[in-house]
Formats: sequence, C-alpha cells, structure tokens
Amino acid sequence: MTPRAARIGRNLLLLAASLLFLGYVLAPVAWLVSSSFQSESEITSKPPHWIPHQPTLKNFEAIFGAGERDVTYETRRKADPSSGGFIPSTAKNLLPAMWNSFIVAISVVVLNLLVSVPAAYAMAKIRFIGRQTSIYAMLVTRVIPDIALVVPFFLFIRKLGLLDHVGSLIITYLAITIPFSVFILVGYFESLPDELDKAARVDGCSRLQALLRVFLPLALPSLVAMILFAFLTSWNEFLLALMFTQTPASQTMPIVVASFTSDFTISFSFINAAGVLAVVPPVILAIVFERYIVSGLTAGAVKG
Amino acid sequence: MARIRFEGVGKRYPNGFVALEGLDLDIRDREFLVLLGPSGCGKSTTLNMIAGLEEVSEGSLYFDDELMNPVPPHRRDVAMVFQSYALYPHKSVYENIAFGLRMRNHPRAEIDRRVREAARKLEIEPLLERRPNQLSGGQRQRVALGRAMVRQPAVFLMDEPLSNLDAALRISMRAEIKQLHQTMATTFVYVTHDQAEALTLADRIVVMKDGVVQQTGTPDEIYEQPRNSFVASFLGNPPINYLDGTLEGDGAGVSFRRGGLRLALPSRAAQRVAGQAGREVTLGVRAEDVDEHGSPREGETVHGRVTSVLPVGSDQFLGVEVEGRPLFFRVGKEMQHRDGDNVALVVNVNRLHLFDRKDGRSLVW
Repeated sequence: MTPRAARIGRNLLLLAASLLFLGYVLAPVAWLVSSSFQSESEITSKPPHWIPHQPTLKNFEAIFGAGERDVTYETRRKADPSSGGFIPSTAKNLLPAMWNSFIVAISVVVLNLLVSVPAAYAMAKIRFIGRQTSIYAMLVTRVIPDIALVVPFFLFIRKLGLLDHVGSLIITYLAITIPFSVFILVGYFESLPDELDKAARVDGCSRLQALLRVFLPLALPSLVAMILFAFLTSWNEFLLALMFTQTPASQTMPIVVASFTSDFTISFSFINAAGVLAVVPPVILAIVFERYIVSGLTAGAVKG
Repeated sequence: MARIRFEGVGKRYPNGFVALEGLDLDIRDREFLVLLGPSGCGKSTTLNMIAGLEEVSEGSLYFDDELMNPVPPHRRDVAMVFQSYALYPHKSVYENIAFGLRMRNHPRAEIDRRVREAARKLEIEPLLERRPNQLSGGQRQRVALGRAMVRQPAVFLMDEPLSNLDAALRISMRAEIKQLHQTMATTFVYVTHDQAEALTLADRIVVMKDGVVQQTGTPDEIYEQPRNSFVASFLGNPPINYLDGTLEGDGAGVSFRRGGLRLALPSRAAQRVAGQAGREVTLGVRAEDVDEHGSPREGETVHGRVTSVLPVGSDQFLGVEVEGRPLFFRVGKEMQHRDGDNVALVVNVNRLHLFDRKDGRSLVW
C-alpha cells in the first residue's frame, strides 16, 4: 500500500468512527425533535418515521393552550386534537415550571459568579493560612452523593420555611455548584502568573480592580465553562427538586415533565414536545458562548 | 523623587520562614541601587516590600519621611519591571503601556502623548497595535520598560528584568537601562543574581544572603574590599580562590603558610593579625591577581602543576593544583601551558584577602 493510500484509508476509518459516535449521540435528540412534530399514531407507526409524513404543530399548541383548558378525566381525550391521544392533567403546569426553572438557573448562575470569582481569586493569588485546606474541604463536599444530603437539606430548608419555594432550590443548587465553580476558576487563575497580579497592582489596581480588569477578561473561557455548568446543573436537577417542591408554585421543568409519565395514560408526542422546549434554553446558551466553550474546556492545558 | 529608608525591617511568613532579617538600608534619591545575591536571599522580598506587594512584618519602611508600611501598592508611586515581563496578554502594546496611566485617571490626550513618546524612545512605535504574544522576548522587555517609564514614578523597581534575554541582548539592554536611569533622574532599585549586571549598573550594591545584608557599597568597594568570604566569592569570574592555612611569623613579617607554600601578607592585613601566629585562616586570591611573567620571589610565588587550560577568547583560565587544592587563575593567552606542566606564578600580595576560617569574616577589611 502506498503511503497516500494508507493515509486516505486511515482518514476514512476515522471518519466512519466519528460518524458512528455522532449518530449515537445525536439520534435520540433527532428522534425527540422529529417526534414532537408527529401525531400520536405516527409516532407508534412501524417502521418509525424519522421525518414526519404529516408534520403537525398541535403538540406545541396543546402545551401553550393548556393553561386555558381544564383537563378532567372526561375531557382529556378531546383535549389533544392532534392524535386523539391524551393530554396530561398537569399539562398546564409546564410553562410555569419552565419559568421556575429559568429563575432558579439564572439565580444560581449569577450567585455563582458573585461568590466563586472572588473566592477563586483569593484562593489562587492570596497566600493565607488554611488556603490549601479550604480548597480540599470544598471539593470533599462534592464526594458525598446528593442522595445522602437530601435529609439534612430537607430539615434545613424546612427550618428556613422555604419548602415549596424556588428559594429552596437556589440555596441547595448553590451548595452543589459553587465548589466545582471555584475549583474550575482556581485552576485557571493559578495558571495565570503571579507577576500579572503584581503588575496590575503596581500599575494602580486595587485587588478588586486587578480581578475585574485583568483576571476576568483573561478567564473568560473558564467563566463560560462555569456558567454553563451551573446553568445546566440547575436546569436538569431532579432529586432535590422532587423533595423540596410540591406544588406548581415552585416545581421545575424536570418534575413536571416526569409527572406526565405517571398520568392516566401517556402521550408520547406531548412529552416529546415538552422535551424539545426543555432543551431550547441550554442550546441557546451553548450557541451564544460557542466560541469560548472549547477553549474553556482546555483551559490551563497551554499557557497563553 | 524619593529616598527609601528601611529601619529594622524583617519579613516572617506564617509558616515561620524568615525571608528577611533586620534590614537597615538608606536608598538615596536618584540612586541606582542593586540588590545582589543568590536565589532565596531575600532580595526580591525587599523589592516587593518597596512596591507594597509584600507586607512588612517587622520594622518600618519610609519613602522620604512618610511611613509606607500600611500603604497598598496602588497608592505608592512606584513602577516595576518583572522578570517574566508580566504584560497583559489581552491588551495591545499601546493599552499595556497606557494601563497604569488610565488607572490613575490621566487625561486621554496626556496618556496618548506619553505612550507615544515612550514608544519612540524605546523604538517600539510600529508594535503599538500588536498583542504581547506577537512580540519577541526583547520587544516584550521594551514594552515592560515602557509601561514603567510612562508612569514617571518616584521609584523604579526592576526584578531580574534581563534574565530571560539571550546574552547579546542582555548586554545591550544593560546599557539602555543605565541610560534610562540617567534620563529619568529617579530612584532605581534593581534585583539580580548576576554579578556582571550589578557591577556595570549600580551606584551602590547590596549583597544579601539568607535574608541578611552582607555588605553595602560601591561596586569597587564590594569587589576590592569584601567584608567576608561570601561577598568575595559571589563577585569575580572565575570566582576567588580559597586556601586554608595558618598564620606564621610576627610583627611586620606576618605570612600565610600552607604546607610548602608561604605568602607574605600585605601590611594592612599584617597589622590586623599581628601576634596571632598559628591562627587558622582562609586566604583568598582573585583569579586575576597573578603575574605569570614576574620573576619568582620568596613569599610572593605559588608553585603548582597545571591541571587544565581553558581559553576564553581574550585570555585563558588556568587550573593549577597548589598544595593539594585546585585553583583557577586568569592569565594571558600567550602563555603556552599544557596539562601537567609545573608553573610558578607571582601573586600580587597587596591584593590578597584573608578571612577567619570559622565565620568567614575578613581580616583585612
């Protein structure tokens, strides 16, 4: 075999492997999106239609119109006109839950930034007694599985009177995300030379100004990684939300979507449409920060 | 303009490590002071204290008559050049230089004028729009100098600014820094472990070791009249030769004895150690203080066997074994020595150094 043929062969092999991997990752998402535009009968057809033969927006109409309709056992069959299938009795909770999820995720991201950035700067650039210990102590909290923390968290939240309030989720999600956020940022700040910090301060920056004017712009990729991490963790979290929220006043998206599966009967097309709505915010976030994500994930690998 | 005064200044870290001890130092206004010593000697700590980047844990630090201990770096009128240059990677060269002025709220037109003037002086005008990662080491060094220059600070601090440059560039930058000091007419404090830099740049040198000042003086004083064996060995290339031995004789005729070697001591040393025959001492002979052409005279000559010949262009280094000790001398390259030759070198006895064997204190100065 000539070297050229060998090179082409190797590239083809890599391409095939990549496509296989891509298919594995993307197929469920593709099916989610495709089926959300299908009627209940088309979803269950064999073989499945990857591209809808009779695309319909009725599932989304049902979601956005669910608030105005009162679904009862008697009326539910008529409630989903797209298929003659069923619409879950909790359907009208979906949009408020999405709003709750959004409030929780944004609050967690903002508070993460406010707490983690100064904390990480201090741990990376100020030598104080117990510095190393505090970094380890923070990480150790993340070794404990969330399920073990549910009861203590629950008692704590009840004492605060925050049960069935989005505040309970914001507080507990902060406890989960901040250690990782600080860890991501400490790693990056430590990779920036101490002399940069000194130069900024001699140039006339207070500690805070050095952080804001020199370190933050340089840490942008890591900040984006941190924002995505905090947002997605809050957006997807299920266990704690299940424990602390009981009514639509505080329930988040994952709880409401999960409740659809335990209704009288299951409407796949409706659930999938809800699923599509659930992935929209993270996708938008990823697109907005696209150019920082890759460099954020590899931060510290190569010094700039 | 500033005079910097250290009074009993010390630096103790929480883990108990003492980086600096009892520093008393008066840096005169517009002086070029070099802090010289091996790594870990406390010279960078001293510099960082002047900048305010390290807290003073004992004693007082004054600029003119103002106590500076509690003043944070951004409120001190100092500028600093770092070994790694520490340019802001996300800012253009122009913004790097302008940053310190912006932080101090200078008017925009004034900033522009000063940045361009500094860039012209440093010949980096065409680079103003570039980012630091698009510059060579020498260019980065100039930007770092420019960043400090535009501030027109009262004190100009430099922490091994030339260590990352190649040898040729280092020498030309040395000349530029010296020139900069003359045009800026401000106090310079310069940290280095390079004796050649210290000797060429300094008005005064402070030699430090283990957080303690060993000697303060002009380059000539430090080189010619070292107070102890550490200072003597830190300056000079190749380093000063040491021979352990004892004192012999009395009155004006005190001499150094090691085995078959006897060297008469200069009168200044002889007076200081009169009546101490038998005392254990260390003799110091600078590599260049021998004359291979002189006619051997009793009490002024070392005899030995050549162990190595190292030509260094302008002259050559001669390794000679004397009384069981390897010594290095700098001799003219017309000397055709070969390994194993026996040589007799006349020592300039007036330039001999003598140290206490135990504590290394000079017995001459």
